[in-house]
Amino acid sequence: MAESSPAETVTLTIDGRQVTVPRGTTLLQAAERVGTRVPHYCYHPGLSAPAMCRLCLVEIEKAPKLVPSCITQAADGQVVHTQSEEPLAMRRGVLEFYLQNHPLDCPICDQSGECKLQDYAHAEGRVHGRGREPKRVFGRDDFGGDVVFYGDRCVMCTRCVRFMNEIEQDPRLTVVERGDRSIIDTFFEEGLEGTHYHGNIVDICPVGALLSKDFLFKQRAWDLDHTPSVCPGCSQGCNIELHTRDNLVQRLRPRVNLDVNGHWMCDHGRLDYEWINRGDRVEVPLVGDGREARATGWRAALTSLLERLDGAGPVRAVVSPRLANEDLGAVRALVDALGGGEIVYRSRRAPAEVPLKGFPKLARRRDLEPNVNAARLLGMERVGGDDGTGGLAPFAAHGGVLIVAGDELADQPPDFGERARLYVYLGQHPTAAASRAHFVLPITNFAEQEGSFTNHEHRVQRFWPALEPPGAARPGWLVLGALLAERAGEAAPTRAEVAFERIGAFEGLTYERVGTGGAPIGEDRALPAEAAGGRA
Amino acid sequence: MSGSVPYRNPGWAGNTGEFQLSEAQVRGDDFVGTRPLAGGHASGSASYPYMLEEKRPDAPLFEGPYQDRLDKILTRYPDKRAALLPVLNLAQEVRGHVSPETMDRVAELLELPRAYVRGVTTFYTMYNKRPVGRFLIQVCTNISCNLCGADDVMEAFLRYANTEPGETSAEGDFTVVEAECLAGCGFPTCVQINSRYYENVQPLDVPKICERLRARGR
Repeated sequence: MAESSPAETVTLTIDGRQVTVPRGTTLLQAAERVGTRVPHYCYHPGLSAPAMCRLCLVEIEKAPKLVPSCITQAADGQVVHTQSEEPLAMRRGVLEFYLQNHPLDCPICDQSGECKLQDYAHAEGRVHGRGREPKRVFGRDDFGGDVVFYGDRCVMCTRCVRFMNEIEQDPRLTVVERGDRSIIDTFFEEGLEGTHYHGNIVDICPVGALLSKDFLFKQRAWDLDHTPSVCPGCSQGCNIELHTRDNLVQRLRPRVNLDVNGHWMCDHGRLDYEWINRGDRVEVPLVGDGREARATGWRAALTSLLERLDGAGPVRAVVSPRLANEDLGAVRALVDALGGGEIVYRSRRAPAEVPLKGFPKLARRRDLEPNVNAARLLGMERVGGDDGTGGLAPFAAHGGVLIVAGDELADQPPDFGERARLYVYLGQHPTAAASRAHFVLPITNFAEQEGSFTNHEHRVQRFWPALEPPGAARPGWLVLGALLAERAGEAAPTRAEVAFERIGAFEGLTYERVGTGGAPIGEDRALPAEAAGGRA
Repeated sequence: MSGSVPYRNPGWAGNTGEFQLSEAQVRGDDFVGTRPLAGGHASGSASYPYMLEEKRPDAPLFEGPYQDRLDKILTRYPDKRAALLPVLNLAQEVRGHVSPETMDRVAELLELPRAYVRGVTTFYTMYNKRPVGRFLIQVCTNISCNLCGADDVMEAFLRYANTEPGETSAEGDFTVVEAECLAGCGFPTCVQINSRYYENVQPLDVPKICERLRARGR
């Protein structure tokens, strides 16, 4: 066709609409540009395409037969029909075969509601099945790790096999047996135990064959609210969705971001979410004298805190690297306003990274906290051991103003901060080490507030509130921002966006620029990767 | 033998008196064992399996002459992955079936994922995934044979061996399985016993065949 012009783009017609796409784009991707999702199972944008599910066949005018759109490259002048009679009839037939042995157990299937077979069969399949033979039955198989396999529901797209081969590069899965007896299995009892990204095969399974044991029978898919967020499991900052219901996080799912995590996330991050749902929360501001605390309202608490802030001596602060950029920035601003002082954070570190071989940008990083890089950018220092404990001796006995933000101090004794003239504890959870605090102020965690994290390569990524905060808990930046603004007599930040823009370290970035995909801070401002030594 | 021998029944269902060939002559019984275990010339090393009657499930794999044969097989293919099928054949010849341990060993030898080796092994029906008896009786029940009473032949074998399809008889002699087309459609019912074809088998022939097998030991 257009051999004369080595153009970088091709123009073709799909379902009566003209579309121009880069050369090399497949018909399936081109069809998405005009708003047509061609049904498919085996094709996944993150994997190779074997064109074996035969569901994405489309009609090209003048081509002798239907072609698989997932591997056919768009060419100039093609006229493609995805919804004409021939492909529709073909899909109806293929779907009938898919349903031949598929148990219609949607009412007890976890995938129900987000199942591609359900969707396609409802949209384009036959109304009634014609099969009279009994369906073959496999039962289920525990693959180890977080995965359970329901053999009867499998449509043999082999996405999971290809994920393990190409992306995880630990080829433990295979198709065993042949014909209608074929199932996905590992080498006998080997299982998936010991692999670190196998949760993704549950995500990419188009039907209910591979299910998460953690999520099994927990919620129906259509009841879940999806909120874009950032995984707090390590400093990689995988883009995720929080799936919530009943004001609880029910599961995490990766959100596509080809610059950070592709389509994937690790099992460590995926399964480490129960702490978000903890019920033991500080729900109201508590004001005390170091012995006894009394519940009060925000206005009273902040007013009395403001009175006591000045003249209480030198400032020291402990923060948690699970706090958002905005929160950490507010702590930094408060400490600076009080004359400056040492701010430290404690973080858990794994002995080694766990890279995803087929997608090298992604690894479970050594830093197991999401925001250590923002803390470092803001001049905070890491103390304590690799298990996130210890290192607070000078703080426990500090005599001036002691601010603890976010760190639960689980390893600290009840007399922590006993000598402080003013001990302010901003935290999510009540803890023994806060019993001597003069102010215990409830703050939200990342799932309950808007904010942003800075990942290992200094990329700022936003997250959105998914849960209602408990009681009177408020974001840390809002609490500290109000305090600071009152002290300086200016307007307090009312939105996370404003709080973010006030942080000098992120100058030049705005929420609008960060968007849903994140944006790197300037290279000149990024710190070298392994600078954080950590003090014992 | 001379060419004048009346040769009406190319199969063998016992000496029916119609022709004067011994079974050994018809089937080339001495075929088994005349080929060197080391595989002879490399060009034939990967071709058809030998089907030893003696099956030792725990026999050492790829030792002695089999090591030579393995080396010859590997020279026949561009990479180790391609040699998987003949190597599995070789393993089955020695052990009688391809056990999980065998798959594991083959995977290690050929540097393949062991799950992949399992997938390949289970895909092909001619690899026995479980131990089989001394005589693996594969009765064709595909169209031609079925029309000529393959089901009855199957039934007769099962009755003689007193076993179930796919199971091995109590004394470990017979394993009876159904097979898809054995490409002996001109001579139904076609039965493959170990590496030999028995053609035109009728239910009445079954006890005779089995007794002869037992008596002869192979």
